[in-house]
Amino acid sequence: MKVEHEQQGDRKVYTVSAFNRGVASWLTRLPTIWVEGEVTEFRRQDRWQSVFFTLKDPGDGSCLPVSMPRNGFDALRLELVDGQTVHVFGRPELFATRGEFRLRALTIEPLGLGAVLAGLERLKRRLAAEGLFSSARKRRLPVFPRRIALLTGNEAAAKRDFVTAVTARFPAAQILIAQTYVQGPRAAPALATALSDLAREPGVDVVVLARGGGSFEDLLPFSDERLVRAVAASPVPVVSAVGHEQDTPLCDLAADARASTPTAAARLVVPDEAELRERLRSQRARLDRAPLSLVERKRAALDSLAGRLRALSPQATLHRGYAIVRTDSGILRSSTGVAQGERLEIELADGGLGARVEETRP
Amino acid sequence: MNESPTFEEAQRELERIVSQLEGGRASLEDAVALWERGDELYRYCLERLDSAEGKIEELGDRIEEARP
Repeated sequence: MKVEHEQQGDRKVYTVSAFNRGVASWLTRLPTIWVEGEVTEFRRQDRWQSVFFTLKDPGDGSCLPVSMPRNGFDALRLELVDGQTVHVFGRPELFATRGEFRLRALTIEPLGLGAVLAGLERLKRRLAAEGLFSSARKRRLPVFPRRIALLTGNEAAAKRDFVTAVTARFPAAQILIAQTYVQGPRAAPALATALSDLAREPGVDVVVLARGGGSFEDLLPFSDERLVRAVAASPVPVVSAVGHEQDTPLCDLAADARASTPTAAARLVVPDEAELRERLRSQRARLDRAPLSLVERKRAALDSLAGRLRALSPQATLHRGYAIVRTDSGILRSSTGVAQGERLEIELADGGLGARVEETRP
Repeated sequence: MNESPTFEEAQRELERIVSQLEGGRASLEDAVALWERGDELYRYCLERLDSAEGKIEELGDRIEEARP
């Protein structure tokens, strides 16, 4: 299509209308393609020719406006809700009078279970490659947390089971509970925000993420990238107690510990007070016994030294039949220099003798 | 106590001191200081247990406002 312009001096100038029409026409050369994203801001009214919504990229929040002729949309009998992931088949279009770019949809397909599973598997591999699930990242849970945060839905059971189990083991526990959406499109961002808020509350040493069992779709928010990243980024350890034993939402893999039920999670985050006191009592008793046994040990060591010292004394040697011979100048070790007739003092084990030298031999 | 150790740290140090005294390697002079530190740690742990007060709070309202 030829776009008219006006020549002004050495400059080609287009009117807005001509420019928009030109770009719109150029865009029609692009192929028809499939785009995947989350539905937001869905708008439909009977008097409108088209329905409108925005397709959002869950990764970075990029947005793409979408329109579809109302008749075509109604014929699909879809019940689109905000947050739902869909595939849109369409072509890019410029709405010339407004200069608005959008995707003109020919058809829309909600993502089937197979596609959802494949998407989860891709996400899991990508996050694993980043090291988010690595065992080296796992932190030890505190033995005696000052405050325990519980993040759960408004289902009474998970909350009651957790609180009951915690207070049974440790009656004086401090628990901070936050409730939020745990299913549906709002759940993942709400959970992620609540988790990081809770982890930053003063005194909170551990966060427990609890949700009872549910369908595969119900548990999907717990595999959402935003929540998984929030779990990994938490400044305090996170325990994941989501769904039943056989479910493994991705937040389980990023958490520092996982529990199969809220009750099991309670056992991980609080010590048994009775056990704690018993251990302390036994340490006290050992501490009190220790000085006495230390003194006894030192005394025994001293006794043994005294025995060895005695064994080394000259008296013990004399008892074995040896004698000490002295002259005026001290103990004799050699006959050299000793004169005939010189006086000797002989010390025996029992008593002593005075003697004179009869004869000297070399 | 100069700093405030966690209950865990205090109990671990107490265990180390008790074992050291029981092992009989400490000198009598050191033993006195060790015992006093052990006694102090024991009292600290007991105090932490006795003074703990149960409290259950809800952070509900603020969270409910969270939007995608």
